[in-house]
Amino acid sequence: MRVGLYEKLVRAGATRRDILKGAASMAAIAAASGAGLGALTRPAAAADDLRAKILQIPGVGKGQPTDADFQKVGELCLEATKANVKEGEFAGVELTFMGLNNQNLHNVLFRGFLKPWEAYTGAKISWIDLAQADYNARLQQSIATGTVDFDIIEMGAPFEGDVCGKGLTSEMPDWVKKQIDFDDLVNYLKPPVGTWNGKQYRVTIDGDAHNFNYRTDVFADADLAKAWKESGATTEWGVPKTWQEVQAVTKFLKGKQFKGQDVYGYLDAPKPWGGFGFYFLGSRASAYAKHPDDKAWLFDADTMKPRINNPAWVRAIQDVIDALPSEPPDQINADPNTTGFQQFLAGTGSMIPWWGDIGSNVKTNDSSVIGDVTGFSILPGSDDVYNSKTGQWDKLASGPNYSPNCAYLGWGVYVMARVDSDEKKQKAAWSAAAHLGGKDLSLWCAAYPSGFQPYRNSHFNIPEWVAAGYDEAFISSYLKSEGDSYNHPNAAIEPRIPGIFQYYSAAEDILANTFAGKMKAQEGADAIAAAWEKLTDQIGRENQIKLYKASLGV
Amino acid sequence: MADQTLPTNAWPANGVPADLIPPGRKRLGFALMAAATLGLLAVIALQILYKTEVTTLGFDTWRPIVYAYVLWGVALGVGQVLTRGEDGQRALFLLPALLFTIAMVVFPTLFGFYIALTDWNLSSFSGRKFNGLDNFWQMLADPYYRNALFNMVLYVLAVFVEYIIAFGLALLLNAQIRARKFFRVVFLMPLMLSPVAVSWMIGKSLMEYRFGPAATLARHLGWDNPAFFSNPITARISIMVLDAWTFIPFMMIMLLAGLQAMSREVLEAARVDGATTWQTFWQVTFPLMLPVSVTAVILRIIFKLKLADIIITVTSGGPGGATDSVSSFIYREYRDRSNVGYGTMLAMAYLVIIIVFVTWLLKFASRFVRNVN
Repeated sequence: MRVGLYEKLVRAGATRRDILKGAASMAAIAAASGAGLGALTRPAAAADDLRAKILQIPGVGKGQPTDADFQKVGELCLEATKANVKEGEFAGVELTFMGLNNQNLHNVLFRGFLKPWEAYTGAKISWIDLAQADYNARLQQSIATGTVDFDIIEMGAPFEGDVCGKGLTSEMPDWVKKQIDFDDLVNYLKPPVGTWNGKQYRVTIDGDAHNFNYRTDVFADADLAKAWKESGATTEWGVPKTWQEVQAVTKFLKGKQFKGQDVYGYLDAPKPWGGFGFYFLGSRASAYAKHPDDKAWLFDADTMKPRINNPAWVRAIQDVIDALPSEPPDQINADPNTTGFQQFLAGTGSMIPWWGDIGSNVKTNDSSVIGDVTGFSILPGSDDVYNSKTGQWDKLASGPNYSPNCAYLGWGVYVMARVDSDEKKQKAAWSAAAHLGGKDLSLWCAAYPSGFQPYRNSHFNIPEWVAAGYDEAFISSYLKSEGDSYNHPNAAIEPRIPGIFQYYSAAEDILANTFAGKMKAQEGADAIAAAWEKLTDQIGRENQIKLYKASLGV
Repeated sequence: MADQTLPTNAWPANGVPADLIPPGRKRLGFALMAAATLGLLAVIALQILYKTEVTTLGFDTWRPIVYAYVLWGVALGVGQVLTRGEDGQRALFLLPALLFTIAMVVFPTLFGFYIALTDWNLSSFSGRKFNGLDNFWQMLADPYYRNALFNMVLYVLAVFVEYIIAFGLALLLNAQIRARKFFRVVFLMPLMLSPVAVSWMIGKSLMEYRFGPAATLARHLGWDNPAFFSNPITARISIMVLDAWTFIPFMMIMLLAGLQAMSREVLEAARVDGATTWQTFWQVTFPLMLPVSVTAVILRIIFKLKLADIIITVTSGGPGGATDSVSSFIYREYRDRSNVGYGTMLAMAYLVIIIVFVTWLLKFASRFVRNVN
């Protein structure tokens, strides 16, 4: 293609991917040489065809996707790469990719997606697979000891302070932004997320928020509704809208039977999970602790003084203590992996908060038995919300306070700065990252078990999901819960500060003791606050304050 | 036939007795070793000054120090031969192993003690800072560490129960029973399994509350809520059982070897003298087996003191720290909290406790065996 022609089209608003997509792209470009934008209609149709085609691999309800499916999807989505990279351009380049292998997802999928990319570009990728719980330690050791031995990393936004803040990542080139259609990201994942000091570092591949997953059959059951009324409840039997109702329903369901089995209400995850378990207390606490007039909810923004021991968080901790006796007998030994995949998907419990994985697994995971009886909403609210500035509980005129927990801000793919000295390697690394963060491939990831949930505006096109085989009511409920969480004006946003998982991990240990009855809720919360203060001093208070404010947009 | 061995005062053809080495050669040897030592010390000093930003001259990594150490080792070896002749050649057999041990054991241990005296959080922007005994004082006041130490006492006491079971099994397999070889192999199998595999197969599958066969069996036996890891006491016992199941075969095989090595005449003599089975066991077999028993118990205690994998996999130390071991606590301090300085202090203190305890145990055991025998 002539460079002048190409640049003319790009100026007219087309991305490289748009221009070259589909078999008819060259003809379209020739036809558009006078009019520019006219070229874009046929590739758009081709893109729609492609999206419909990949969503049929293997097809919703046709079993869990296999490596052959990952490769097929990767092959079909390669056109965007071909627009920027010549065949065999990266021959001889060797890259190392570090990521997770949770639930046999993440890296396991990336391998399949990138196999056709390797075959086309000639690059070779070696893999470092990590369990979720080992991830933080491995990353921190690499940073602290100056032994970054990977070129590309799958990483969550909370680690940006640790990695981007220390100059270890490569800045995203403009061509990558165009290839991945950066503007398609939902608003809360746009900068400052993925940036540091104004520079863009991350190819987003996931959006994260805890939504509320519940059993529609339990909350539509006439016998339970009758028993609920007989118990003296003044409200109708239905899906709880506030944490106060969640508590009441959980206690009510203790000892009840449903479809011949014990039925349980809410499932807590009290067992430590490498720091990630703290998010689940955060989901219980956000409606109590995140006031609409205050962006901060975990620390005071000006001092980094922890709020974990304020009445809002203590109430959330007390809720867990009060609910545990009504949950399954071994619940104290359940981590989020257990509640999500071994309990809820297997039919135990009727309410859990989780990332969007439950929604994308409930109909496509072979171990799920609740595919047709699951509903979704944003996290429950609270009748009152704690105001840290006044020290009072406020009742809002608008009704219950809702505050979805935008926990973790999703996974991204980052390229390490160590490739910058080698132009070919740098382009190869960014090309691989862009392939994984491609617009079409991301739709497939959102629709099938992948470890990733919707994160682009284009993911919320319900007819696409219905055409793929999803039930319209189900997918509408799921996508609405996700979209409403992302776009909520009072969302509780993850603080992107260095060492955040150390805070979470220290809290988990103390919470485990508190939930086991060794401390009262307030004592446990005070102990966490003391540990967090110490940690802040150890990491550097002034710096943490600055970064915490930046992450809140204050 | 003539004696083929060399008399003690005979030297190999190229060997030179120390007293026959010319003074010039000796001086050359000493000079070489001194120069190499000074060179090594200078390179180390230079690198320390560079890393502490006192000078701008130095190396980006510590790798050149390793090369300098190797060169120093070579110079030391050559120096030994030059200065000590045949004795020096003999020293060459030992020197590589000695230098390797210093590099791989002595230096890391000393460096570990230094790290234990620093405030080193991997996320800290200011990096590692020397903080004296702060970590030690923090450790003394740390209730989680004390709790883990208390749990270790309980876990170690459980070894004696394991010993009784292992002895019983060893006696059984030493007896003339049918399919004895088959049972010996079967009883050894748990030892061949990785503790992580045991954790998943048994702790997280067989003993799983909802669908685990062990839980189902317990329900049939009348236990309404067979949650093996929910209550501190049952969780602790469950971990002990899992660990015992893995390691009892280790003790059993040692005891079985001891039983098979025992003189049959002694047992026959006891029987001829009219001793009952119990008397034979208690007054003959058991005392004779004491040295083997003590070895088996001490080795098992050393293994037990390192208990971590099963706990990390099954309970993460819960509920409420009831099953936490020192190793699993240190693991969390390192892995989840990147608190390298404090974690190293915990590990070093535990190392000292183990050394003192095992030394005392060995002395006590040898006195006990001597008194009984």
